[in-house]
Amino acid sequence: MLSNSKTHFANFDEMTHSRLRLSLCLIAVCALISIACFAFPIYVIWPFRHQGPTELQFALFVKRIGPWVATICAALCVFALLFTWKSLHSRMARTAAVILFVLALGGAFLSRVNIYEQMFHPIEAPRFESAANAKLDPNDMVIAVRVSGVDHAYPIREMAYHHVFNDTLNGEPIVATY
Amino acid sequence: MRDDQTGTFWQQISGRAISGPLTGAQLELVYSDELSFGLWRGEAPQGSILKAVEKYSSNYESKDWEVRMAKARTVIDFPNTGLQSRDLVLGVTAGGASRAYPVQRILSEKLVEDRLGGEPILLVVGPDDKSIRVFQARVHPDEQALEYYRETTGAFLMDSTGNEWNFSGCAVSGKRKGSCLKPVPATKDYWFDWRNYHPATTVFKH
Repeated sequence: MLSNSKTHFANFDEMTHSRLRLSLCLIAVCALISIACFAFPIYVIWPFRHQGPTELQFALFVKRIGPWVATICAALCVFALLFTWKSLHSRMARTAAVILFVLALGGAFLSRVNIYEQMFHPIEAPRFESAANAKLDPNDMVIAVRVSGVDHAYPIREMAYHHVFNDTLNGEPIVATY
Repeated sequence: MRDDQTGTFWQQISGRAISGPLTGAQLELVYSDELSFGLWRGEAPQGSILKAVEKYSSNYESKDWEVRMAKARTVIDFPNTGLQSRDLVLGVTAGGASRAYPVQRILSEKLVEDRLGGEPILLVVGPDDKSIRVFQARVHPDEQALEYYRETTGAFLMDSTGNEWNFSGCAVSGKRKGSCLKPVPATKDYWFDWRNYHPATTVFKH
C-alpha cells in the first residue's frame, strides 16, 4: 500500500515538471516571435542597406501581419505565465518568465510603430503661396505639375525631406513623391 | 510608401503596389517637370507653390545638397556599364525601350535628337540652362520627324521647315503655329538607381 502511493506521488511530480518546461518554452518562443515581428522588417529595410525583391516581399509581409502575430504571442504568454506561476519556485525562474513576457508585450506594441515613417515627417497642413509672392531663388529647382488646368510646384529641397505629399488640384487627388 | 486606407505598400519609382491588399495595382503617372523656380514662375504666373513647413524647414537640405549627395554611399553598383554609380542621368522610357541620357552631356549640347523604341524624340535644355524637357519629335505619328536646331540669338528652337518652337514644345510662328509636341515623361536619377529598376536600359551615346 505504501509503495503504491510512493509511485503515484513520483509520477505526479514528473507530469507537472514536463508541463512546466513546455510552458516556459512557449513563453520563450512567443517572446522571440514577438520581437522578430518588429525587428525583422526594421533590419531588412535599414537605410542604405540593399535588399533583394524576395527579402523585401517577406519583410513587408511580416510588417503587415506583425501586429496580429505579436499580439497573439503576448496573449499566449499571459496564459502560460498564469498557468505556471505557482509552479515557479525559484526567484530566477520567475524573473526570467516575467522578462520574457515583457519582451513579448514590447514586441506587440513596437510592431505597431513604423519607425521609418516616424523619421519622414508628413506634410500635415500644407500651405501654398502664389508664384508671384514666393521668395525662392530663381535657380532653386521645383517639381511642376499641371492637373485639371491648375499649376502647382513643389520645391525639391522640401520634397527631399518629406518625400511624399498628398495634393488635390481642382478636385483631382495626386501624390507627389521624391 | 504606404496608403492609409488599406496598408498596401507602393513602390515610389514605379507607382506599383507590391505588398498588401492592393498588390498588383498601378498608379497612373502624372506628367511632371523638374524646372528652375524662375522658369516655372514665368510659364505659370497663376500657379501656386508649396510653402516650407516651419516646424521642419530648418532640417531641409541646403542649396549645395547635390554636391554632398554625389559622394554618398550606394546600396548597389553596376561596374563596367560605362557610367559611375552617382552619375546623374535623365531616364526616358518610350515605345517599350529605356535609355539613360547623362545630364551633363544634355546640358552642354542643349539639344539632342534621338530615336527610342522606334520613336524619334527630342531632349531640349531650357533658356535657364538647367531645366530639361523631352518631347516626341513629330506632331502626328505618321509624318516625318522634323530636324531641329537651336539659335544662339532670337528664336529658342527652330525646325528645318521654318517653324519656331518654345520650351513648352509649342510652335509660336510658322505654318505649325498653335500645335504642340507631346511631352515624354523623364526621370532625373542616379545611374545606379535607374539601372537597378530598368535592367534592360541602354545608355545614350554618339
